[in-house]
Amino acid sequence: VTQPIATLEKPPSPGAPNRADLPNPVERTLANGMRVIAFPQRSAPKAYAVPLIAAQLIVRGGASAESEAEAGLATLMTSLLTQGTATKSAVEIAQAVDGLGARLDAASGYDASIVSLTALTHVFAQAFALFDEVIRQPSFPPDEVERVRAKAIGDLALSYSSPSALARYVAQRVAFAAAPYGHPVSGTAETLATLDRELVVAFHARYFRPDNATLIVGGDCAPDEAFALAERQFGGWRAPATPLLVPAAHTAPGSQSRVVIVDKPDAGRTAIVVGRVGIARRAATYPAGVVATAVLSGYSGRLNQEVRVKRGLSYGAGAQLIARREPGMFLASTLVDHTKVEEAVAVVLESLRGLAAAPPEAAELVTRKATISGGFSRSIETIDGIAGVLGELALYDVPLTELGNYLPEIEAVDPAMVQRFAAAMCEDLFVVLVGDASIFGAAIAREYPNVTTIPLAQLDLGRPDAIKEP
Amino acid sequence: LTSTVSGAGIAVAPIDFTDRTLPNGLRVLLVEDHRVPSVAINVGYRVGGKDDPPGRSGFAHLFEHLMFKGTKNTRPETIDRLTEDIGGLNNAFTADDITNYYEVVPSNYLETLLWAEADRLGSLAVIEEHFQTERDVVIGEYDQRILAEPYGMLDELVNRESFVTHPYKRGVIGDPENLRAATLADVVAFHRTFYRPDNAVLVVVGDFDPVQANVWIDKYFGRVPQPAVPIPRVEAVEPPQTAERTFTYRAANVPLPAVEYAYHIPAWRHPDAPALDIVETLLGMGKSSRLYQSLVYRQRVATAAHASADLREHPGLFSLRAIASTATPIERVREALDAEIARLRDELPAADEMERVRTQIASSFVRSRQTYNNIAVALVRSAVERDDPGALNSDLDRYRAVTGADVQRVARQYLTVENRTTIEYLPL
Repeated sequence: VTQPIATLEKPPSPGAPNRADLPNPVERTLANGMRVIAFPQRSAPKAYAVPLIAAQLIVRGGASAESEAEAGLATLMTSLLTQGTATKSAVEIAQAVDGLGARLDAASGYDASIVSLTALTHVFAQAFALFDEVIRQPSFPPDEVERVRAKAIGDLALSYSSPSALARYVAQRVAFAAAPYGHPVSGTAETLATLDRELVVAFHARYFRPDNATLIVGGDCAPDEAFALAERQFGGWRAPATPLLVPAAHTAPGSQSRVVIVDKPDAGRTAIVVGRVGIARRAATYPAGVVATAVLSGYSGRLNQEVRVKRGLSYGAGAQLIARREPGMFLASTLVDHTKVEEAVAVVLESLRGLAAAPPEAAELVTRKATISGGFSRSIETIDGIAGVLGELALYDVPLTELGNYLPEIEAVDPAMVQRFAAAMCEDLFVVLVGDASIFGAAIAREYPNVTTIPLAQLDLGRPDAIKEP
Repeated sequence: LTSTVSGAGIAVAPIDFTDRTLPNGLRVLLVEDHRVPSVAINVGYRVGGKDDPPGRSGFAHLFEHLMFKGTKNTRPETIDRLTEDIGGLNNAFTADDITNYYEVVPSNYLETLLWAEADRLGSLAVIEEHFQTERDVVIGEYDQRILAEPYGMLDELVNRESFVTHPYKRGVIGDPENLRAATLADVVAFHRTFYRPDNAVLVVVGDFDPVQANVWIDKYFGRVPQPAVPIPRVEAVEPPQTAERTFTYRAANVPLPAVEYAYHIPAWRHPDAPALDIVETLLGMGKSSRLYQSLVYRQRVATAAHASADLREHPGLFSLRAIASTATPIERVREALDAEIARLRDELPAADEMERVRTQIASSFVRSRQTYNNIAVALVRSAVERDDPGALNSDLDRYRAVTGADVQRVARQYLTVENRTTIEYLPL
């Protein structure tokens, strides 16, 4: 098995990267104010085309449009869209979708509520009518409202049991406090308990209107056909006379350097989130942010190298850039033994500051950019993948040409841009720790100023400071 | 489009692939497609759970792990670094008849990964240290997937009790006792026996120039020698079952009682295979399926009900599984299942139900043709498990040709009590 080193072979080096064959999206606005974006099948001579069409309806109105007291309302509403309409019960909808071999889903994020569909070309028109029905005529049956709400409350208990998930929720409160991105999209047990059918119906009526919606249709369907289909199905949708509530621009409170510990003695390990308010998707620094995040993330990214590979503090560590309509979060996270918290926090902070202090080597950027283009390529292999990327661009007011410009923009990011972005992200970082504070709390309090400790029983994600009312 | 294959009113372009065999016996299938700048590389070996040596159950699966542990030229986890670090992915799976390894990477890294796959075919480091650690990992996987998962052991039992003679009875994941008794010499012998170019199929799908790719394939794979000894093949033939076999098992982690009916069915390449796939869909796919409608929704005797046409290289199994709803006796669940089987035998399915089922099956077929790796996996499986990669391009036509009478005929022929192994799987 052991051979002289001289006989060892090295893997061949890569060639120059190729470009994706991307469809050209085109758009129109219907008379009722609905924005329609269509994209055709790909055109390369060797491009396998499938007889599948995808549609997506994006409505501006998600969790950031809820009041604090209504946290979870948008998600409850979208979960109910497929659970009953004017003509069909939940089971009949499921059967109709199956019968067409279609996929029909609905979900809400902070900035939007999205309904998505894929179906084979020859049954698409029927599936599209069903898609329209759940969008425009949901009946929100009272027993389904109760069932979905009870399930949502049950699911929360499960997600709170994970220190990593809990640390994310707490980080959002630390970053955004009472700003619209502060409360959890899924709500809290207390807020969900107060939601009722009337609120659901009102939320739907307020935001599901043609002048507040973007429809994307693409795949095995020429843009002209897509526009005709959109006109036929949604042309008769009238906007109500009431003025459209445009979600107001909002800003997060100023970041401040602080540490928040949630004492969860039964946690197996401690979740660490280090972060701050980041950037909006349309920010000019977005490509630099994506590259900086890639330098820090993945198995061979800097955080994992420092935290796991060199020191064995965790199974993994990485960074995330959550860019939305308004600035979201930039964060680094890991999960460590309670006894390693102090060391791991120091290593994470040092890794972030290291990138802020010196530009990365050009060679490091080559492989880290490859992770971005590889991931992007896979995300646009499917027709619904392309619809998803276009939907995000539309939602965030980014020109649709970004579909083709994204990778060149990533390529154009240089080491100095990455350093500048990292430097901006290293100002006023907060640290959130969820774990057994009896083991690490004292050491952290000695090391860092401005430490708040919240016993788990006092945690309330329904409040801007995440602390229960006394 | 030069030609199309069609089914259930849809037309799908055929997958246009080249097929050649290198002098050392490696079969190479290439599909050129330039939608996105990436490539999927699959290397499927004709070795699976059924090829495990007697008393060495789990060897094929163990190899799936050892193949990531480094070669004469590379350190362990090299494949992970060569893929994940450039935005790609890799994985592998072991089934009854095949062990398949795959990567999806940016297309400019094709040569690098062809080198790496040829390197682990030609110079895998089968050493004591890797053998020991990966054996522990595989035994850990057994504990996790078979012992800890509710109903995990039922999958093993279905194979064990349905087959009397054929090695399919041993399953894939492996027997911890067998694995503990194995030696490095056994493992080296297994590797030499099955990991050879004439026992493998290489598939590349995606953004590449076939002329260039073939040069690289000849260079890196072509130099791996073909051993002179023949490859041993499973020759055992399962004798026809003539009477029902019934078993009752009790286990600790059984949340609710379950029943499984397993029927012997022919191999994947048999002409009845498409009709059996249609029966699977009609009985078990989605909320409109007969089992869901009858057992779960209307009668509420089951919390879940599944149907599966497990078509393999050699004759496999058609199985039905239902998990009882709370407080429903298992006999009641079996009555409901029996009624559905009787209905298949006694009534022709309605035309609209057949049309719905064809649409469902065509939809999942078409969805699965969207990504490079799905196309590659479908080709490699079809090449290994039915010795005919091109059969993929006529599958939709075959589904369309299945009539209600065919459904009734295969139900009468295969879903019989005599041909069935029944397992009741109950809480302690």
